[in-house]
Amino acid sequence: MITEKFKKVILDELNLDDFDIQDNTTADQVPGWDSLNHINVILALEKAFNVHFKGIEVLRCKNIGDLQNLVNTKLNQ
Amino acid sequence: MIKSTTNNGEIEWDRWVENAKKYPDKEAIIHWVAGEEPFRWTFSSLLNAAESFAVGLKKKGVQRGDVCATVIRHNKYFYPIYLSISSIGAIPAILAYPNPRLHPDKFRHGLEGMSKSSGLDWILTEKAISEVIEPLVTKENSTIRGIFFPLEWEKDLKFEGKELELINEVRAKIKNTDPALLQHSSGTTGLQKPVLLSHKAVLDFVTNYGKALELSPKDKIISWLPLYHDMGLIAAFHLPLAFGIPVVQMDTFEWIMIPSLLMEVISKEKGTLTWQPNFAYNILAEKVHEDDLEGISLDSMRMFINCSEPVRDRSNKLFYNRYKKYGVKENSLSSSFGMAEVTFLATQSPPGEILKKLNVNRQKLSQGIVEIIEGEENTRDCVSSGKVIDGCEITIIDEEGNEVKEGYVGELLIKSVSLFDGYRNYPEKTAAVLKKGWYYSGDYGFCHEGYYYIIGRKKDIIIVAGNNVYPEDVEDLVSHVKGVVPGRVVAFGEYDEEIGSEQISVVAETKIIEEEGRKKLKLDIIIAGMTEDINIKKVYLVPSRWLIKSSAGKPSRKTNRERLVEKKESIKWS
Repeated sequence: MITEKFKKVILDELNLDDFDIQDNTTADQVPGWDSLNHINVILALEKAFNVHFKGIEVLRCKNIGDLQNLVNTKLNQ
Repeated sequence: MIKSTTNNGEIEWDRWVENAKKYPDKEAIIHWVAGEEPFRWTFSSLLNAAESFAVGLKKKGVQRGDVCATVIRHNKYFYPIYLSISSIGAIPAILAYPNPRLHPDKFRHGLEGMSKSSGLDWILTEKAISEVIEPLVTKENSTIRGIFFPLEWEKDLKFEGKELELINEVRAKIKNTDPALLQHSSGTTGLQKPVLLSHKAVLDFVTNYGKALELSPKDKIISWLPLYHDMGLIAAFHLPLAFGIPVVQMDTFEWIMIPSLLMEVISKEKGTLTWQPNFAYNILAEKVHEDDLEGISLDSMRMFINCSEPVRDRSNKLFYNRYKKYGVKENSLSSSFGMAEVTFLATQSPPGEILKKLNVNRQKLSQGIVEIIEGEENTRDCVSSGKVIDGCEITIIDEEGNEVKEGYVGELLIKSVSLFDGYRNYPEKTAAVLKKGWYYSGDYGFCHEGYYYIIGRKKDIIIVAGNNVYPEDVEDLVSHVKGVVPGRVVAFGEYDEEIGSEQISVVAETKIIEEEGRKKLKLDIIIAGMTEDINIKKVYLVPSRWLIKSSAGKPSRKTNRERLVEKKESIKWS
């Protein structure tokens, strides 16, 4: 499940006031989350949660729920 | 040195066959997929696979001169498919695979527009998008005659008997002045300009460019560039194939997800050359973790070539300072200038030479005068894009069309042995840029001691990560969003220092006063852009009658941009 903090980091990075983000939302459905800005979203999440993603781990995420799970897994390690 | 002259009458297929005979077991294309073992095509295995696809194309009825558009993702069979189209005298045209954010109707509409303007005959694609494309074939007045799924075809077919005789006859008739490829230059899908290049133009270009790069058989190209873009298609595909040197093809999508992948591939494959737009230097310098670079070595690299976007000194410095400890040499940072209309490039900085830079008086430069000064106040750093390559000629003219002397700014005009044959089916657009053998580039710059410096553009094109976007397309799109005053929109590029590229900003007039309504409108504008695969980074909403018009009666991009971005004028809503 997408946490409030996780959602806020994404919205702040993309300069969005609000947007509904669910587990099955994909990056291409979020306004402003294009290939050029993708890396900024990833780095903002890493900074906010003090975690480090490996590139291949991010590549395997099919939706934003997978990315949230990746953060959760890192935090529990 | 590799030979630097083309044979009379030679076509690309001849050259590829010759290379397959000379270097049958040498690697030609290394197809890279993150987390997997790369697939390695040799020159002979690539040609054999191409021959098999050519049999398939002939069976389907593809003829010499037909335009075959490919819409295929990163796939190891893409390369022999492309070669097979060329081998039968048909014309390959690589189109971008639809981004998931692009609405299927918009993609279809764009393809339809492109089909009408470019005269696409066949679409070679994947089954995954067949439903989106199929309606175009049956549509009245469609130029598209059929859709094929070559990835599904048998892979070991050969021309035999009568078929072999016929194909040899076809190949013997292909002339080097025949079209070799069709590529779509800048603009929104459906409105892009189709650039047609002959075999001669491409082979002459790679010959001249290979000389400028001092290309040797030891070179190896590493590329994440999309092949629908001239930079990827010519530099990282036609050039190595023609010279018989290997290229590693990465997936653009994977690179943007894992930028450090480029460094990993260079290190593992001992690459020597790569081309990238300016923004990639910022991404690699500032968005890669040190952990992801463990154990890499970049000392094999001869040239990192910055092109397709204005070259920024800051981006080069950031990149060099980050990677010098991994073996990047300062003199490997290189630059170039060009466009698809001259096949790819007109200038290139000499290999092994540190990039030339000039500190010029910013105020004088805006008046068209190049005054080199000391110090940093009110100056502009201009990075050279190198010297003119063989086969090209450049002249610089003022607004009256008079040639300007060295030290003055003007529009760059290019003459080239590899000049395009015009925009296919667009004689009026061709006539607007091609006059008396000169291509009017629309780029402003100057020459200093034989080196060219590009400083701006005549047209208001926005260059986002190496891709050209016309502000008119964005304005038209936003103008139709409910809540925006129709026709009262301007779009322009704002340089994003962090990314190292321009991003799209929009100023739109609205009569909506309450804040919640304006927040919703901003989101609606961004979403409207998404459906056309245009990412609008900033939306400035302004009250009705706020935008200043130009003398032509349209809202002025330049003036309104200055008010908001440079003067940061505040907006009052009551």
